[in-house]
Amino acid sequence: MELKGEMSMLNILHLQDIDMETLQKALQEKRDEAPQFFSQSPVVVDCSEVAEQCDELDFKRLKELILDLGFIPVGVRGISETAPTNLLGAIKDAGFALMRAGHAPSNSTTRGETGDQQGETNNTPDADNSAAAQAQANMSIQSLTIERPVRSGQQVYAANGDMTVLAPTSSGSELVADGSIHVYGALRGRVLAGARGNIDARIFCHSLQAELIAIAGRYQLLDESDTELKGKPAMIRLEGEKLIIEPLN
Amino acid sequence: MSKVIVVTSGKGGVGKTTTSAAFASGLAAKGHKTAVIDFDVGLRNLDLIMGVERRVVYDFVNVINGEATLKQALIKDKRVDNLYILPASQTRDKDALTTEGVESVVNELKADGFDYIVCDSPAGIEKGAFMALYFADEAIIVTNPEVSSVRDSDRILGILQSRSKTAEEGGSVKEHLLITRYSPDRVEGGDMLGMDDIVEILSVPLIGVIPESDSVLQASNSGNSVVLDKDSHAGQAYMDVVARFLGEDVPLRFIDAQPKKGFFKKLFG
Repeated sequence: MELKGEMSMLNILHLQDIDMETLQKALQEKRDEAPQFFSQSPVVVDCSEVAEQCDELDFKRLKELILDLGFIPVGVRGISETAPTNLLGAIKDAGFALMRAGHAPSNSTTRGETGDQQGETNNTPDADNSAAAQAQANMSIQSLTIERPVRSGQQVYAANGDMTVLAPTSSGSELVADGSIHVYGALRGRVLAGARGNIDARIFCHSLQAELIAIAGRYQLLDESDTELKGKPAMIRLEGEKLIIEPLN
Repeated sequence: MSKVIVVTSGKGGVGKTTTSAAFASGLAAKGHKTAVIDFDVGLRNLDLIMGVERRVVYDFVNVINGEATLKQALIKDKRVDNLYILPASQTRDKDALTTEGVESVVNELKADGFDYIVCDSPAGIEKGAFMALYFADEAIIVTNPEVSSVRDSDRILGILQSRSKTAEEGGSVKEHLLITRYSPDRVEGGDMLGMDDIVEILSVPLIGVIPESDSVLQASNSGNSVVLDKDSHAGQAYMDVVARFLGEDVPLRFIDAQPKKGFFKKLFG
């Protein structure tokens, strides 16, 4: 196994009020804007703006609330490591990880720790928004279009988005995308969609001759598949743990 | 405006050196001042194929190291005007090739008014092959009609379009596919990949098909370029390749299976 320190995309929930009712309503509204996108997405709660009232915050209930709305609570930040032991204990008991703060909003008291940025971008200055919480979607979707054949030994990766290949790909090549993969030509090498766990990613191709197909980590050798679509236009999607190969008409 | 053309394949033994020799001879025979450089340092063959092995005094590595001038190292072909050969060193290895050294030689050839500089690549995807393709404007990918050769060609095409100087500068090297040792009878019998299949797999425009021919072996062993053998199908096919490269529209030849000779034909024919 490997344990690495890596930065990943996280939604940061900036608490501006410790009232759970208000928070619940505001967060639900935000979620309903893009339920697909937020479903099962990790959330870190930033407490730096309510630092004074943190003792009164019910972390257990906060966690349940986040879970109920379909997010995955990961941790809490904006709490000083020198905070009272009972507060740190409450956070720990609720099952949150205590994270060091990123760059704190300018209007709040700056806390000691720096660095450790979660990759979030505060590009929508809705601090004046009366909503108690803002879930910041920080992924910038990027499309990758490839117009030349992908050759044996070449690896192409579309980070944070879909990949479109307008040429054939060779056996021994590897296409990897965080989103879906479209190949308007023969697909012959390995193809891995949803590389960071997006189970809704799909693979589309004009002629399915791949060596290995994978979506969100579930993989299959095409030779071990009993599909009759080899060499034909096909779409591959994930249903539960199973890769489904369907004709593309 | 001079052009650098690399003859490469990935796999060994498919006919790169034969092609380099024939192609360079063909260009020169058409009146273009042409140099052909052997990049296979340590496994020098081009001089043998071209029949100049006894005239090698200085080589490519000597020029790179400043031990000889380019003029001293270039061997002028005795049968074809305008043709010059820069042999590889037999006693060194590929590490003797440096980007700066190769660049200075290529630039000097360009400054000397050479129209075409043909780089004969060694097999593999290591330094020698990489150096041979780095400065290329165009590439001739030599492929035999069998799967491992096709896959290796595919691999070298990937390297060509990602690691050559042109690719690093955002451009793309012009690719030509040359199928050698093609035997229409064996393709028909299903023993060999057909040329349409190869073109489909590699998706590179076809510049020619060279039939399997005894004349290639005879020419190599005698040090005569096969294009000088006017009766040889392979020689004619190579001249067609040169013509197509220079922009002429020439139909493919020698790609259909010969009709089987009947019993009487065999007996009396």
